[in-house]
Amino acid sequence: MDSLTADVFARSIGQVGSTVLFVALAVIVLEVALYYLLKKALRWKYALPVMLVAPAFIGLAILVLYPLLYNFRLAFSNMSLRRFTPERGMTTGLAEAWKNVRIVFAEPVLKQQTFFPVFLRTILWTFMQVNVHVTFGMTLALLLNRPMKMRGIYRTLLLIPWAIPQLIAVLAWRGEFNFQYGYINVILRSLGLNPVSWMTNPVANFMAFNIVNFWLGIPFMTVILLGGLQSIDQTYYEAAEIDGASKASQFRRVTVPLMQPVMTPAIVLGIIWTFNLFVVPYMINQNELETSDILVTALFRAAFEYNRYGFAAMFAVIIFLILLGFSIVYMKLTGFDPRASITGNIGTTVGE
Amino acid sequence: MKKFLLTLMVLLAATVAFAAGEPEAAAPEETGPVSFQLWTAEGESDNGFQFVQGLADEFMAENPNVTIEVVQKGPEILREDFQTASLAGAAPELLWTVNDHAGPFTAAGLIQPVDGMYPKNQFVESAILEGKTWGIPITSGNHLMLLYNKSLVPEPPATTDELIQIAKGLTGGDSYGFVYNDTEPFWLVPWLGGFGGRVFEADGVTPSLNTPEMVATLQFLYDLEFVHGIVPAEADYGTADTLFKEGRAAMIVNGDWTLGDYRDTLGDDFGNVALPIVSATGTRAAPYTAPKLFMIAEGVGGATLDAISEFITFATSEEKQIAIANDIARLPGRLSAQKAAAIVADPILTASAEAVGYGTPMPAVLEMRANWDAMKPEMAAVLAGTKTPEEAAADMQSAAEAGIRALE
Repeated sequence: MDSLTADVFARSIGQVGSTVLFVALAVIVLEVALYYLLKKALRWKYALPVMLVAPAFIGLAILVLYPLLYNFRLAFSNMSLRRFTPERGMTTGLAEAWKNVRIVFAEPVLKQQTFFPVFLRTILWTFMQVNVHVTFGMTLALLLNRPMKMRGIYRTLLLIPWAIPQLIAVLAWRGEFNFQYGYINVILRSLGLNPVSWMTNPVANFMAFNIVNFWLGIPFMTVILLGGLQSIDQTYYEAAEIDGASKASQFRRVTVPLMQPVMTPAIVLGIIWTFNLFVVPYMINQNELETSDILVTALFRAAFEYNRYGFAAMFAVIIFLILLGFSIVYMKLTGFDPRASITGNIGTTVGE
Repeated sequence: MKKFLLTLMVLLAATVAFAAGEPEAAAPEETGPVSFQLWTAEGESDNGFQFVQGLADEFMAENPNVTIEVVQKGPEILREDFQTASLAGAAPELLWTVNDHAGPFTAAGLIQPVDGMYPKNQFVESAILEGKTWGIPITSGNHLMLLYNKSLVPEPPATTDELIQIAKGLTGGDSYGFVYNDTEPFWLVPWLGGFGGRVFEADGVTPSLNTPEMVATLQFLYDLEFVHGIVPAEADYGTADTLFKEGRAAMIVNGDWTLGDYRDTLGDDFGNVALPIVSATGTRAAPYTAPKLFMIAEGVGGATLDAISEFITFATSEEKQIAIANDIARLPGRLSAQKAAAIVADPILTASAEAVGYGTPMPAVLEMRANWDAMKPEMAAVLAGTKTPEEAAADMQSAAEAGIRALE
């Protein structure tokens, strides 16, 4: 690094510094303008709160809202690498949007497979994952929610998968699935069993990234559910015991209903996250097997390997609508009220 | 509130005063100083990036009015970022990147032709699409060769039959006679060439993957594993590389970018030759060659283009081209530099220069992406024993055709 001279250093600071200065300047101009408009001219009583919130609001609008709207705009276009700009044949309109919708459902979204096989695989993957996460997470949480020695240590150990950056953990797992040197095949061989082709066999590859995500997902769910269990007042159990309720019926009639405000958002979010989980299926699928693609990895390949921007944007909108529809139905069915849980139980759970 | 406002005013004044000195560094052409950005796909691990930065520093010292900002990006990231930056109107002016980027960049109209900017007959072939040249060659090669461990293989094989015979004697236990990255079709196409096949029809854009030549190639790779048993059941890049470095694989097929690394690891035991002749056809396996190119962004002109042109002339001069061979062990793009004494004296670079002569330029068209993606899983399926070569070749073709339709 002999090239890191004072000059280079000053130049780097200058480059970053100018951006920071620009942001600072914009914030100050905004605040002064708001002050004169809202406080001096309109004498509005909410002037100060609006002034305080405005920079964050504008920042989020630029960083979150604008890309979102831009994606919708792209979904109404036929943009691709060959039609990169309006001068090169990119057109926008309802006809293009309709064409994109038709392509999503009628033509292969990847090389050979159409939307529905990939969609079904995504559902299967989400269903398996969330079920296992909740079942094992709940079991572990119940086991840990008893007086025992070194409970703090167990809970810390559970968080290890989340202490490692996800991409690095997943790449390490990919190494373990190596046919020649992977830990799993080494164990299988030493047990006298046949090693598994984790990277080339479609079924084995699907299992491989499921295994990785079990490892990531179960501890997370355990920690969330354990927080919920600890917020249940012990007196309910004492009352149930006096009434002669068995452990099983205590679980069914006390624990499950009282866990509802924690479990519903955890399951809804779990489903949405798993449905849209990118790193695990993409990185474990080293050979780019089409049979291991879920909707979001197919979307990524369409957008960034084939540069089908218009199509990929519409694809993203459709995935968004599927998840939106699912979340509404699920919350209706479970009678979940988001306002109640934000002010009520979940606040203490998350803060715990 | 008064105080708050006062503070704001003071901060505002300070910011304005501080920011006022800023934009001078990036002043426009008419005053003299010129600055441009160069994105390079050369990595740091083999000193490639350091070499590029060194060239830029030397050029800036000689031309004080020019500022070059060198930015390093991996090849795939460079492609994606360049497309995005161009869309946002903030593209870098100059690229130092792999030739197959010419396909996507010309399809989107992001780079300008460079015909007339350099003496073409003095350089290796560049990326030519639609009758125009899109880059100025910096290095040549990127080709696969047969690399071998002299302590195990005193005389390298000249044909595939010899290769199989030598490898059989060296396979046993956890050692292998021969390894290669069997997950990437980049390692398949040289043999396809040896069997007389090509991935595109004569028009250069229609895939021709479902051919007897492709079937023969897949059968050959299948036989290496299941009939002759000389390669590991599965070996990705890292596995093959490790086996060879540890001396547990006698021969490997790998690219010219590994020459320096293997020479450091194996010392005098390291040897390299061109890929062998395919015994069934008598034709030598033909690896893909891909020069690294300077590409200039669309819309760059005036004094900036003049400065860029001067920098390119400087970087591709014979002196610098010999330096690129000596410093980072790459074959220069300038033909006279390839024949220079410094390279001829180095047996490894000489063998590499000979091997590159048997290669075919890698297609730079956008359709190649669909071909790669089509070949990869089918090659894996054959080597896992789940598809016959005939089935795989047919599926490659339909996948490539679907991929090309998707590119529209």
